[in-house]
Amino acid sequence: MSRLITCIYIEGKKLLRSRTPVVTTLALTMIPFMGGFFMFVLKDPALALKLGFISTKAQLLGSADWPSYFNLLTQAIAIGGILVFGFVTSWIFGREYSDRTVVDLLAVPTPRSIIVLAKFIVATLWCFALSLYVLILGYIVGKLVNIPAWSFPVTSQGAYKFLACSLLTISLSTPVGLVASIGRGYLPPLAFTTLALVLAQIMAAIGYGHYFPWSIPALVSGITGGSHPVFDQTSLTIVLLTSTLGLVGTILWWQYADQY
Amino acid sequence: MKEVISTTALTKIYGTLRAVDNLNLSIKEGEIFGFLGLNGAGKTTTIRMLLGLVKPSFGASYLRGKKISTNSSTDIWHQVGFVVETPYSYPELTVFENLDLIRRLRGIKDKNRINQISKVLRLEQYAAKKAGQLSRGNIQRLGLAKALLHQPNILLLDEPTTGLDPAGIIEIRRLLISLADKHRVTILISSHKLAEIAKIATNIGIIHHGRLIKTIGRTDLKKQLKKSLLVEGRDRKALKSILTRAGYEIYSPTTKSGPLQIRDKNAVAAPEKIATLLVNAGHPPTLLKVQQEDLETFFLRSIQKAEQEREIADV
Repeated sequence: MSRLITCIYIEGKKLLRSRTPVVTTLALTMIPFMGGFFMFVLKDPALALKLGFISTKAQLLGSADWPSYFNLLTQAIAIGGILVFGFVTSWIFGREYSDRTVVDLLAVPTPRSIIVLAKFIVATLWCFALSLYVLILGYIVGKLVNIPAWSFPVTSQGAYKFLACSLLTISLSTPVGLVASIGRGYLPPLAFTTLALVLAQIMAAIGYGHYFPWSIPALVSGITGGSHPVFDQTSLTIVLLTSTLGLVGTILWWQYADQY
Repeated sequence: MKEVISTTALTKIYGTLRAVDNLNLSIKEGEIFGFLGLNGAGKTTTIRMLLGLVKPSFGASYLRGKKISTNSSTDIWHQVGFVVETPYSYPELTVFENLDLIRRLRGIKDKNRINQISKVLRLEQYAAKKAGQLSRGNIQRLGLAKALLHQPNILLLDEPTTGLDPAGIIEIRRLLISLADKHRVTILISSHKLAEIAKIATNIGIIHHGRLIKTIGRTDLKKQLKKSLLVEGRDRKALKSILTRAGYEIYSPTTKSGPLQIRDKNAVAAPEKIATLLVNAGHPPTLLKVQQEDLETFFLRSIQKAEQEREIADV
């Protein structure tokens, strides 16, 4: 256990010293401000037109209220999170190969499985911290915009769905670690993440999203307009299975494949 | 003496390329084994297999009798330090932090060890500097510091002095000799700096196209280093003609100037006869010197012989 904690410390230090925290924070900061902007426009389209935020040709759908706002945030994290959380995992694993520092992690008294696990734990913790940041900032922006129909049950339900979607999206980052390890760098996992996102949209559009892991968080967020329970057994199984395969696959790759 | 580093029929095949071919090594405790070879000969691949970075296609490698593979038990790594090619470090972390990271990974409780090794390798003044800002030589020093931090008794060093200044090379040489002599550290070192290897290695192995073509101890090496007689005079052409007519074979290097070389044992044993011959012929020598070949020449000669044998085998 102490070795795992040590490795988490090491991986955490490397992550926090890099540019990844700044880049990912900035990237996800757009979500609450984007959501707040749309709520502002929907709340008072005439004022928005007067201020020049929209043109006369704007076609806006939806209503300005807290449930809609939380849905918007949740959908954004379910989709944008695939890219940003994937980027985090891509960097944590890929950089060891691109910077050629992986050698220092392989012939040491600390088991490789512990090192891989620590990397995933740090990736998860940072991504979850980012999610909380988006949620809190989103709440503040929502209050500043004075979105109507706030209530505690709405907020707690919205927060629950948001965090559940975040966790589902975060858990789908483990295959990214595997691709980074096999591809030995940043680019293959970034390409994989982009492909996963594109396929997720297609699969959701053609009605097979329930079976494609990367479509599931977006379906749970309500992006198709339909209702998809957060903890649908089939969807949860698919996501957990994908996540587990990614984790175990990465550990096995580090333990048995030629590394250098 | 105990066998510390060994390989048995160690082979690594990449597609159609045999990067390492049936390699059998046996390195005893306290030895400094100089591992020589041309670029692409298989030195780094061998070291990678010894470190469990790469799986052998056939055969096995052992450290202190323990078979090494990619999923080897981690216990052995307490005893092993290494530098594999250019030793990269985390550029966003300082020198101290890079070493601290290794200290933690290796479970070294003594934090003072970082200061100790920094002092030995003259990195103290760079402790707070980010590794990404270090010069080439200091990156190498940092790599060596990481290899020595845990006081290993086995060192696997692949080009450890690359980028170091001459003073640094001497320092590392003295350090490695001291480690082997006083602390019985077993060292496998591969390098293209043959002069350095000649000064520190107790045994030398030459690898060519993945095969170990020669293994020789320092004492035996001295006996095998050929001697030649260098002859120089005012008229090189005339000298060459006189000596050839007298039955001496002239070794002709590619240059068309400089001293002539005679490798005849009798000539080397009695250079005064050559002097007499030339003086009587009216072309007294301006230089007459017995020279022993260096490791570089011995190495190239061994490679050449191996190539010739390979060509014959192919035919």
